Amino acid sequence: VSVLFPKWTNVLPTVFAMGALGGAVAAIGGFWYYATPKFWRVGYMPTQPGGGFNHQLHAGKLGMDCRYCHTKVEKSYEANIPNVATCYGCHGAGKLKKMDQSVIDYSPTHVAKTEFIREAFAQDASIPWRRVHKVPDYVHNFPHHVHLNAGMSCYSCHGRIDTMPVVFHAEPMSMSWCLDCHRAPEKSVVPKEKVTNLAWVQDELTKRKETGTVGVDAQRVLETLQKAPPANCGACHY
Amino acid sequence: MTPRTLSAVHGQAVWRSADELWDSAQFREHLEREFPAGMSELVMRERQDLAKDAALLKNDPTLATGKSFENRREFLKLMGGSMALAGIAAAVPGCRRPDQKIYTYSKVVPEEVVPGKPLYYVTAMPRFDGGCEGLLVETHEGRPTKLEGNPLHPMNQGKSTIWSLASIMELYDPDRAKFPTFNNPQRGKVMASWDDFRAWGSEHFKAYDAKQGEGLAFLVEKSSSPTRAAMRDRILKKWPKATWTAVSSSEASAESAGTLAAFGTSMRSVTNFAKAHTKTIVSFDRDFLQYHATELASARQFAATRLVVETSDEMSRLYVFESSLTATGAAADHRMRLAPSRVTAALVLLAKELAPRVGGSAGAIKAAVDAVQVPSGDDIDQLLINECATELLAAGQGQSAILVGSSQPAAAHALAAVLNAALGNIGKSVRYVAMDAEEAGPSTARLGVLSEQIKSGGVSTLVCIGTNPVYDAPGDLDFAGLLAKVPTTITWHVGASETAEASTWSLNGTSFLEAWGDAKSIDGTLSPIQPMIAPLYEPALSEIEFLALLSGKEMSAKVDGYELVREVWRGNAKEWFGAITDFEPKWRRALHDGLVTSVAPTTPPALAKDLKDVVAGLGALTLGAAPSSGSLEVAFTLGNVGDGRFANVGWLQELPAFGTRVVWDNPVLLSPKTAVELGVAPLGFKYQGASDLANPFETNKLNAMYTEGTYPTARVAELTLNGKTVKAPVWILPGMADNTAVLMLGYGRTNAGLVGDGVGVNFSPMRKSSTSTLADAGLKLSATGETTMVVSTQNHWTMDGKDSVLRAVDLPAWKKYGSQTQEIVDSFYGTKWNINFAERLGELSHTPPNISIYDNPYNRSPMDADPTKKKANDPRLPSNVRDPSQAAVIANREQGAAFSSRPQWGMTIDQTLCTGCGACTIACQAENNIAVVGKKETAKGREMAWIRVDRYFTGDDLNNPGACMHQPVACVHCENAPCEVVCPVNATIHGPEGLNYMTYNRCIGTRYCANNCPYKVRRYNWFDYGVTKFNGGYYFKDAVEAVAPDRGGITGSGEHNKINPNLIPPRLRDKLDEISKMQKNPDVTVRSRGVMEKCTYCVQRINAAKIECKLAGLKDKDGHYVVPEGFFQVACQQACPSNAIVFGDILDEQSKVTATRRHARSYALLGYLNTRPRTSHMVRVMNPNPRILQARDPERFARLEEPFHHGAHHGGHEGESHEHMPGSEDGTHEPAESSGEPKAHTFFDTRKQREDRGYAMSLRVLSIPQGGQA
Repeated sequence: VSVLFPKWTNVLPTVFAMGALGGAVAAIGGFWYYATPKFWRVGYMPTQPGGGFNHQLHAGKLGMDCRYCHTKVEKSYEANIPNVATCYGCHGAGKLKKMDQSVIDYSPTHVAKTEFIREAFAQDASIPWRRVHKVPDYVHNFPHHVHLNAGMSCYSCHGRIDTMPVVFHAEPMSMSWCLDCHRAPEKSVVPKEKVTNLAWVQDELTKRKETGTVGVDAQRVLETLQKAPPANCGACHY
Repeated sequence: MTPRTLSAVHGQAVWRSADELWDSAQFREHLEREFPAGMSELVMRERQDLAKDAALLKNDPTLATGKSFENRREFLKLMGGSMALAGIAAAVPGCRRPDQKIYTYSKVVPEEVVPGKPLYYVTAMPRFDGGCEGLLVETHEGRPTKLEGNPLHPMNQGKSTIWSLASIMELYDPDRAKFPTFNNPQRGKVMASWDDFRAWGSEHFKAYDAKQGEGLAFLVEKSSSPTRAAMRDRILKKWPKATWTAVSSSEASAESAGTLAAFGTSMRSVTNFAKAHTKTIVSFDRDFLQYHATELASARQFAATRLVVETSDEMSRLYVFESSLTATGAAADHRMRLAPSRVTAALVLLAKELAPRVGGSAGAIKAAVDAVQVPSGDDIDQLLINECATELLAAGQGQSAILVGSSQPAAAHALAAVLNAALGNIGKSVRYVAMDAEEAGPSTARLGVLSEQIKSGGVSTLVCIGTNPVYDAPGDLDFAGLLAKVPTTITWHVGASETAEASTWSLNGTSFLEAWGDAKSIDGTLSPIQPMIAPLYEPALSEIEFLALLSGKEMSAKVDGYELVREVWRGNAKEWFGAITDFEPKWRRALHDGLVTSVAPTTPPALAKDLKDVVAGLGALTLGAAPSSGSLEVAFTLGNVGDGRFANVGWLQELPAFGTRVVWDNPVLLSPKTAVELGVAPLGFKYQGASDLANPFETNKLNAMYTEGTYPTARVAELTLNGKTVKAPVWILPGMADNTAVLMLGYGRTNAGLVGDGVGVNFSPMRKSSTSTLADAGLKLSATGETTMVVSTQNHWTMDGKDSVLRAVDLPAWKKYGSQTQEIVDSFYGTKWNINFAERLGELSHTPPNISIYDNPYNRSPMDADPTKKKANDPRLPSNVRDPSQAAVIANREQGAAFSSRPQWGMTIDQTLCTGCGACTIACQAENNIAVVGKKETAKGREMAWIRVDRYFTGDDLNNPGACMHQPVACVHCENAPCEVVCPVNATIHGPEGLNYMTYNRCIGTRYCANNCPYKVRRYNWFDYGVTKFNGGYYFKDAVEAVAPDRGGITGSGEHNKINPNLIPPRLRDKLDEISKMQKNPDVTVRSRGVMEKCTYCVQRINAAKIECKLAGLKDKDGHYVVPEGFFQVACQQACPSNAIVFGDILDEQSKVTATRRHARSYALLGYLNTRPRTSHMVRVMNPNPRILQARDPERFARLEEPFHHGAHHGGHEGESHEHMPGSEDGTHEPAESSGEPKAHTFFDTRKQREDRGYAMSLRVLSIPQGGQA
């Protein structure tokens, strides 16, 4: 017997057991970390047609309100992507001349960058924007209008869009992430008139987090809520 | 068989099939199962079935090998194959985040479209049987998804029929014509374009200009459209000698001829019932509640005359004489089953009784009626005729209606018109509406004329528009042969068509949802038809555009349907709008409302002066004796697929047929007696002769049609009529006339598409062109020795406790007891409570109420104490909760029950009003993306429809059941839901508004919930029904089918797949095509394989309504956000033509559902299980004639005023205590004193008794006081 199994083999079961344990921990830990929306979805930044729409420039530098383009966000489930006509309203041939030269770059190369808008407009074709934020099909009709009217800021789900040259997925948008807020909305609601003021909201929410208090405004908004946000399955899944 | 004595329907037996009536051991086993035997297994079962069927057929049990093929080796073999295929598939697509594009509007942005929100537009659907339905179409970003009734339209009033609901699938039919096809004489069929046709046509039609159109024939559908009529005039102006033949495929022209005789004008009789003025309705084979041009209005009016709210309410009484079993017959208080010719005889007998007594215009025909010889026969019950006559006279002027249907000759229609006039009914309970010339002409005769013309070589170009004569023309015309004789044939069609297949040119048309048009409903309301979407397969022309193209100067000209319709409307503006000026605003108003309101009312027509045509018609009427089994009479009927145009709509193919509940087929229907006599009764139906039928219990030959074989199997018979012979399966339908065969039209399409091809048998060739009715005689039927599978859902999802799931009483009983409650005191538990009239009919009157020993926060029934008043030391609370240390739990309780906040949703279904039409099922299917599974999958009990309509018969006689009743059952959203407690993953849980949620993405498919559901309303996606193509292909199909044995029609037709594509791994199957996907409701998940589903109470509509109300700031007087009553409707409620379904907030004191739920007719289905359903059903009240009952059904007569099955010695007076001891074997029940002492209770069985004793003991252990209010 000793010929077949020399003495050093006595440690093998221990080594195997430890290895298996370590492997299991690594597998579970790896799955835990890597197989979640937090890993897969945060930071998703697809390339948009025509070099994309620079939110940092439009919403940040130029100070355009979100609702200038996402016109129906307070009225509909969807925060609609603007029609080509909306882009053309500013980027149509010779339309930007009147604006402040210090903010807008009128160099020919820059103007050429928006050529795809005029082309699409001329052909009455749409621009195939790539979708960044998407809830799964079995999550029904995320109602933007309800959230906005209840004082949920764009910031809470989309982050500081006004600082993003290229829009990326800022939050995991997993179910537990949704529920975190639905169970404690007072941490996130802001006055309705401030919902698109992302910098202010970021400040306010950070303050609340640091001090552990809830803003007076939030209390006011909460009172106008119908009832606590739903945390039952049927609110989203049907 | 003893449980039958407990039935809550007149104390009579209640059953759905022969098997259930005789309650065999096999049936009991079948009942216990979640699904029919064998449905959980894969394929190998089928070989076993073949052997079993062979054994049944030869009546030799030894033939069934009994050897199971479901052994491990077979299983491994199958799995191995699947794995190999799956492996290949898995390698193809990666595991990637789907890259979605968002396409916005560009330059032109529609003003009204809000992305994410549906828009609603009105339009109208022309009906092939005349008139139209006004519809409201839900569109999502320009994509129509759901059709609903237009609330403003007088016919629909927001309701819809199965046909209008399903007509959206005509738009999204993947097999519809997509481009023109030219049958080139040299090269055969070639794909062409409209430009090709225009170029070809300008040459071709030029030749006819010189001949004024001689040799040109148009075969079109009858249409109510004014624009179509204008286009016809244009065609006939351009080519005066062209033939214009307008036909309706399923029409019986006898009504037009009969009313012509009576009034001098062709008329259509339309019901005009009202509670105020309709007391007696007599129908002679007229199914006015279904498959009829005015079905919606008739069903609504009829329901109104039947509604009983107070005990003082009166009901109308309906007598039906019919040959098949129809919705109208099932709704009847008295029904007589007669062969079609004998229905005429019954009408003549009634006229003989009435004519001398009614006076008025009937005097003119008295002599003629008396002269008609009616051979006597056992089939006609003179008592019923006499009672009919008495009641019609007693009802008073204008208080009754006599209606005659499509199987009846012109003389019968004329006779009914005269009698209606004499009874003063015209303009009150019955209206007669004039037909125009195109509508009035007899279709089959017109086709005959056209055929003669073709035969004589008089037609060189035949243009078929919307018609399909190759499929549906009467057989004696041999239209397929005639079509081949015509040098050039052009067919314009929307769906696939047999005629188009045989034509020179096949042109793709637009559906009514894609083009402009107009239509007129039977009551004269004009509706514009506006397109909801651009034609899916452009270019395509609508019917009017096509006619305009042909009648125009240049074939290359652009035709615009919008301008054509407007031109006609502008031309008629004075008549329709009352002014020629201001056309534009009025036209826009008409588009908005979907109708023109200012149509002039019609005055009631007067009878012709001397009625000599009626007299002549009666003189020519010869009536024979009742038919014999050697020469059957025939009634041609329409079913769910209409005249065949809906054959490619899976929803309708899978909707159980009325009466038989057969799907995917149209077997010949015979009465059980006739089927036995002819030796064609289904396999397992073990009667050899009439003597067996007379004494079924004694001969002890139990039926096992549904339970012995794995699938119900019919015998195939050979039918010969008018020289045509077809083979078709035969099925039995209790309550049908003996020696009469019902042949359902619309099936047996050969070129309808993947769904409709080869489903059923086409009986149109057996019709002859000379008859004006949908009836015939002289059918020879003989067994062939072959068998085939017939799928009937009537035994699927059988609930146990059939004796009280259905409850019905007669009007006198309701009047006597309706307002009374009964106090139940149970000595055993010491509980007292009051139950209403409906609950007294069921178990609750003799079983104690169930009180849960667990404190269920959801309990909101009279049995529960007010949860807000519960105290921490409440002795009724379980001890662990009474423990003061559980302060948090108690504090939670003090805040009130989970169901104390509004809204709390609930539904009631009134069985008095339900006609069993199936509109709720189809509406649900359309709204909730419910999949169609196919014939064999349905046979295995895998159908997915969330609402099933259970059909019950009553009485002991299989051949002639007492009544036929319907009960729609969907998930009842139990407050104590048995499904929720068994789900291991919390996929089905309760919501705060009383909804039983089903979370698909959590479901892992254990099916425990379905097992535990006493209502059997949960549906399981055994395969990818929802996301793969029905009857579709799959990769390696040719290779697989080359080695697979032919399994003959597994999904639907079997024409397109030899083996079940569901058994192929999902990745390899053809995915649902994009066109079919367009119908899907974007607000509802499309479920995939392995997921349970069931009625959600249309949660998507509830959520949408809540959001809208919240955003609009709607609040009640207390400042709470509410969804006001009527803000939204659930899909079934919205469709129900008779308003039988009510849905709403049960905590809203003002809501209709609160009233109906509290109503004395309202009961909880299987309420004794303490499931506390949110859907309650309402007792059916019938209004039989006591004199007829006394003579013909003494058993029921005895219960006329005493509906409770414990007999007369329980008066049930208010306040009187009752203690019941049901279950003593001889059926006698002794009243017992209520004393508080435990007694020897016997309930349904001893096992339950034991459990109840233990339960009572547990109450004592928990120190819950006895005798107190729980």
